[in-house]
Amino acid sequence: MTKRSDESAIWTILGYLLSGLLFWGGVGYFADRFFNTSYLTLVGILMGMGGGLYLVWLRFGR
Amino acid sequence: MRALLNLSAKGDEFVPPSSRDFVLPPIFEDIAFLTKPILFSFVAAILVGLFFSASARKAAVVPSKFQFAGELVYGFVRKDLGTEILGHEFRRFMPYLFTLFTFILTNNIFGIVPFIQFPTFSRISFAYVLGIIAFGVFHYVGLRKQGVKKYIKDIMFMPGVPKPVYILLTPIEIATYLVVRPLTLSLRLFANMFAGHLLLMIFFLGGEHLLQGAVAMKFVGVLSFGMGIALTFFEFLVQCLQAYIFTLLTALYIAGGLADEH
Repeated sequence: MTKRSDESAIWTILGYLLSGLLFWGGVGYFADRFFNTSYLTLVGILMGMGGGLYLVWLRFGR
Repeated sequence: MRALLNLSAKGDEFVPPSSRDFVLPPIFEDIAFLTKPILFSFVAAILVGLFFSASARKAAVVPSKFQFAGELVYGFVRKDLGTEILGHEFRRFMPYLFTLFTFILTNNIFGIVPFIQFPTFSRISFAYVLGIIAFGVFHYVGLRKQGVKKYIKDIMFMPGVPKPVYILLTPIEIATYLVVRPLTLSLRLFANMFAGHLLLMIFFLGGEHLLQGAVAMKFVGVLSFGMGIALTFFEFLVQCLQAYIFTLLTALYIAGGLADEH
């Protein structure tokens, strides 16, 4: 059973990190195009990474 | 594989295989939709159906070899993916999981069966359809089991977080459940089949091209063929593993919907 739940954890973690990057990175990208700036994509990606990592910690770390 | 191996060379240039080689023409010119992957996805469905209904028909206490083979596969899915992950409710999902596993496995193994040699799921639409079906199943199960309100609340709000942080986290959770999970499910299967087929094409077509060169080249060509054969066995491993992991993750997602908290 432990092996199975490990496997599940791997893909859950990957999913969180990926969707964090995609969603907030995407928001940043479109905000950049809207405001004609160039740094909001980076901010979005960092936010998404942070959020994804935070979710992983909430789910598995505490 | 390209129909004729000679196609690997245009004049003296070697044309490496590319994604274009996955776009196959219709088998009969006047039936546009019937391409090789379409045909063999149907063949796989028929094969799986026939094999397992035949192996179960004359089910006896002392099984024939045929029945034994069928029960081996079923037992594997039942024990490894059914009871261990889904617990006592596994019986409801066995038809789906078992069909999923055997169908993907058969289609994948078509990639290394001589003269067929095309894994159906190296065309991405096939993988997308399976992803969409799995998506429908595990959300439906979760919604039925926990009720619409609780299920959505569980997905959107991770407990024990200060309220403002939900602005950051909730979109990520929604994206995970609605987009990333089914998408990665499909893409993992597709990418593995695509890359494996491309790899085999490179070694065999490249080997064939090298054999037409000078003596030293011929030697390398033989090596390339040897490598191709070794990789074929490796592909077999990958094909089994991908069928397994697709079914495993589907079962895990269903189990996640059945569980009280996600």
